[in-house]
Amino acid sequence: MTDAAFKRLMCLGCGFSYDEALGLPEHGLAPGTRWDDIPETWVCPDCGTPKNQFEMVVIGYAQGGPALAGAA
Amino acid sequence: MENSFVLRAGERGHNHIRSDGSTSSYVAGHPEGFITRESSFNFAGYQGGRPGFGPIRVFGEEVFHGTGCGYNMHPHHNFIIACFVLQGELTHVNTAGNGMVDRLHEGDYYVFSAGSGGKHSELSITSEEMHAIYIWMMPEQLYLPPTYVRAHFDFRKRRNRVEQLIGDSDGALPIAQDIRISRLISDAGKNYTYTPRSPSHGVYIFVLEGAVRCGETQLGRRDSTGIWGVETVDCTVTADATDILIVETIMVDETRIKEWEKQHPGH
Repeated sequence: MTDAAFKRLMCLGCGFSYDEALGLPEHGLAPGTRWDDIPETWVCPDCGTPKNQFEMVVIGYAQGGPALAGAA
Repeated sequence: MENSFVLRAGERGHNHIRSDGSTSSYVAGHPEGFITRESSFNFAGYQGGRPGFGPIRVFGEEVFHGTGCGYNMHPHHNFIIACFVLQGELTHVNTAGNGMVDRLHEGDYYVFSAGSGGKHSELSITSEEMHAIYIWMMPEQLYLPPTYVRAHFDFRKRRNRVEQLIGDSDGALPIAQDIRISRLISDAGKNYTYTPRSPSHGVYIFVLEGAVRCGETQLGRRDSTGIWGVETVDCTVTADATDILIVETIMVDETRIKEWEKQHPGH
């Protein structure tokens, strides 16, 4: 376990975002899953862009955003 | 500190995207349809250059070749996508709000903020090729409500002045980012001083047609330059009917871009 802040990443192919705090339960990634722990072969569930073409972002959510992102 | 880079037309990434084979679900218009894309920044199949500029990740010139060519319905999140139609007709089917079918022609442009999720399809359904400029920008906030707005730039009425098309000026299309996109169509011999909101804003100038000198740099058709850390950008138009896009943007501290700049000094 690590207590480093949770990261957010954005797919540069379509804008899909991955938030470590929220995970992607619909796609088998539990909340708290670190980006580094996701296999390098993983691709964007929306557009198929490879994992290495995601970029870490420091952008806050719009109101209500986290609930929507957690269900993406 | 003043910084700049120059990107010549031929230095951009080139992609030819087919409507058959592995890209057939993405690109419409088989058998004769295909898309050509010239990318100023890294995008999809092109990863050989600059990763972006401020929050801009895509600046692409695209041509849809063949009747029925375009992109099939596909999803986006978060990115703000602006498109400027230069030639032909773009049929744009978009799910933002209650959804709409839009048909855009020369001078028309749109801003699609994908926010919490939206889909769109873009097609050229006439026999004429469709030429457009696409700009993708990261937003100020993630998961905003999706929006779609569009307008028309009338080049006959708005000559010889910098006209803001997207941003916070009167009549400009709004955008959820500290970005202003302007267009200038000018006769030769005229001088313009562009003043960004602050020296920490960057300016990306792309020449659609004609020729312009920005500072000491002479730019021709489809050449571009990025400049930041300056109070003003001085340009002299050196060819008649010069047509340029000016994108002013906040320069966010993006690790990926900073790392690339360190490895490619002078670019």
